[in-house]
Amino acid sequence: MLRHDIVVVGAGLAGQRAALAAAEAGHDVALVSKLHPLRSHSGAAQGGINAAIGAEDSVETHIYDTVKGADYLGDQDAIEFFCQQAGPTVIEMEHFGTIFSRGDDGSLARRAFGGAGFPRTIYAADRTGLALLQGIYERLGTETIRMYNEWFLLSIIVRQGRVQGITAFDRKTSEVEGIAAKAVIVATGPAGRIYGRTTNAHSCTGDGVAAAYRAGANLKDMEFVQFHPTALLESSILITEGARGEGGILTNAQGERFMARYAPHVLDLASRDVVSRAIVTEVREGRGFPGGYVNLELMHLGREKIESRLQEICDFSRSFAGVDPVTEPIPVYPAQHYMMGGVGTNMRGETNVPGLYAAGEAACVSIHGANRLGGNSLLETLVFGKQAGVAAATYVSGTPEPTLLPADVEREVTRFRALWDRKEGESPSALRTELQKTMDQFVGIYRDPDELFRALRQVRALQERYRNVRVADSATAYNIDLSDAIEVGFLLDLAEVIVVGAIARTESRGAHTRVDFPARDDKNWMKHTIARWTPGGPELSYSPVAYTRWEPKERVY
Amino acid sequence: MFAAEKLITVPFDVYRYDPARGGEPRYQHYELQLAPHTPVLTGLLRIRDELDPTLTLRYSCRSAICGSCAMLVNSKSRLVCRTPVGPEVAEHGRIVVDPMRNQPVVRDLVVDQTPFWDRYEQMEPHLIPDPQRPMPEGRTTLMTPAQVDRFKDTPRCIACAACYSACPAVEADPEFPGPMALAKLYRFVVDPRDGGHQARLRKIQTSGLWLCLRCHLCTEACPKEVRPSERIRDLKELAVRAQGGTEPGSRHAIGFLKNIEEGGTLNEMKLVRQTSGLIGTAKAAGQGIRLVRKKPEMLKRPKTIEGIDEVRKLYRALEKDEEVPL
Repeated sequence: MLRHDIVVVGAGLAGQRAALAAAEAGHDVALVSKLHPLRSHSGAAQGGINAAIGAEDSVETHIYDTVKGADYLGDQDAIEFFCQQAGPTVIEMEHFGTIFSRGDDGSLARRAFGGAGFPRTIYAADRTGLALLQGIYERLGTETIRMYNEWFLLSIIVRQGRVQGITAFDRKTSEVEGIAAKAVIVATGPAGRIYGRTTNAHSCTGDGVAAAYRAGANLKDMEFVQFHPTALLESSILITEGARGEGGILTNAQGERFMARYAPHVLDLASRDVVSRAIVTEVREGRGFPGGYVNLELMHLGREKIESRLQEICDFSRSFAGVDPVTEPIPVYPAQHYMMGGVGTNMRGETNVPGLYAAGEAACVSIHGANRLGGNSLLETLVFGKQAGVAAATYVSGTPEPTLLPADVEREVTRFRALWDRKEGESPSALRTELQKTMDQFVGIYRDPDELFRALRQVRALQERYRNVRVADSATAYNIDLSDAIEVGFLLDLAEVIVVGAIARTESRGAHTRVDFPARDDKNWMKHTIARWTPGGPELSYSPVAYTRWEPKERVY
Repeated sequence: MFAAEKLITVPFDVYRYDPARGGEPRYQHYELQLAPHTPVLTGLLRIRDELDPTLTLRYSCRSAICGSCAMLVNSKSRLVCRTPVGPEVAEHGRIVVDPMRNQPVVRDLVVDQTPFWDRYEQMEPHLIPDPQRPMPEGRTTLMTPAQVDRFKDTPRCIACAACYSACPAVEADPEFPGPMALAKLYRFVVDPRDGGHQARLRKIQTSGLWLCLRCHLCTEACPKEVRPSERIRDLKELAVRAQGGTEPGSRHAIGFLKNIEEGGTLNEMKLVRQTSGLIGTAKAAGQGIRLVRKKPEMLKRPKTIEGIDEVRKLYRALEKDEEVPL
């Protein structure tokens, strides 16, 4: 059996930042990831990272914009801390070596983003995630950390009221190992592949979130799913909000700049929930293009600007949609993009399970509330990744050795073998495809109660069929039929929590829009949804939202 | 935009091999009906879903940013997520998919990237603090857009290893760090925040920089236009300018340059001396004698060409045009 003080699962920005903080504190840290760290989905983030460093801007405005963007479901104490950390975080990443775009005076370049009062989104062309991922990975290389690259998480072991470690297998050999640890930090990102139309990578299957849920951790606000307004038609590949930040506009089939109807003040730079609803409404009311989409026009920005600041977007549009944004509009439609919900934590990344921490998109602090602002997620990974690493480091110093028993590992090995040995049954990809169709169709931007109930029935039927999932491939090396089968199980558990939360929340707030309850209901629903695993499905409870200074107001952009 | 396209029959021949089970590598044939703009990755995943779940490959983002899915498509290094099937079928009649080269096969299309990552790590890929110029307290360093431009397109690198797979120097010489590692090194050598420029250049001069064959296959293979071969050329230039000729590779380049300036043409005997020194030349005497027997004109001192003044004028003009050294 392997042993480390702290095991971080997931090696995107949050996981690497957590591992760095824990290693700097002098602990024996392991970083477990099913991908090589540089292949993490953080690298796909495009537009930028928010920090109010401009002379005309202020931390106070960043806080307000975030509180408002969250539709007053964010915890204001956490948001205050988060925005205060923005400047120091970006400076630190620059000192680590991140290559940002610069202004003529040599300072960090900034662009406008949706829902923000000032241009405060610092960027590296349109590959900010990649730049930050390279920056943190380079810095991490100067510390001693045990890397388990291409290891796949199976479970988090909790016994005697605290975390004792994890089980995982090496994808090269498919050998299951127990890794004992005093603390485990979950930083496995989102579960966007619950949906078919998603900007997320194939690997975004919520492994750590689901494992934490099964181990007794509370999930928070899972019904809040962000749909990005501008994903490429057909492939759903992300087209950054930075495209509109640089001056891009949305038009319908009548050539109208339709955002004027929905957000008269800031037009295309309204919050994402607002723009996504607007696009869906345009298409539903017959003003979209045949095939159901609207146009994102950049042509007026000129070749030089488009090709320098939106270099990857040019590449994506040309390769994946056959359009050249310099001369033609880009066909776009909303797609699932981000999960505001996740493993419930406080500002230190602590969950309800002693020794279990979470950070990044896998976690819900909550700072994004009901709707995340663009540019706040990269910042979140770094601010709260560090917090979780520091908190875990403090915790392990005063915690006795973990007792991961051979029986703990054996139990997982038995389940794993049983799954793998089932050669007849449901194919993982068929179950996944059906889940994705269900969620795309019934748990999207506008939510109808009948459709939500239908979705719940279908998800539960899929869970039932999943008991009989088969793994056709018996090879030991890099068996993705095997990992697919495990991932589908994670996706199904989390989909159920999303749907159950969405059925219960009889109001419309941020990204959660109920057609039968179109208004926000602060009296009854200004509270976080907490979901706890039980054998019969998620059990919901609610917890208060932390308020400091901002009274809920109507949200107008 | 892609118009509604008719589906075409796409024949795939996919490399299959499981070293754990032994046997010989083979190609397995599959056929799908796909729209011509469909990425090869989508085709491979449909093979998995509909025809053969035992086929394995590495992939993640499907948008050319995670660097997972570099493979050979009809013998060319490609990210399969952004290689449409239509043009491949039009040109080759089918789609042959192989794992990348220069890395051992784990299974099917998945390769062991350890050697690739090891070479990356050898470059000390992190900022080396400069004690003379510590990072400013409480603010970022300043970096002009011109300084950012010096990184060229190296920040676009997604570490997909397509260049490493395409590189004949990697195949021939385990000492050669490979194009990606060298492009990464370049990124640090031009970084104004890095304190290790000279040490990095000194080290790389004698640990593989001059083994590059200048074939530019890496630049051709790179899906993100990082142009590693051009950055390797830049590294050589920076190394020579900072340290002069430290070993045969750089001395050869300098000798070449001087030869042409002196006479407008190559003086091969002199170049051997310039590259290897007197002792080195003496050691290679056997080879030299064999060469001279075949090509006696080598011994003649080449005549200075007509128009040498023009050549020298070009030298002067180019010198003026040079970027300020580090």
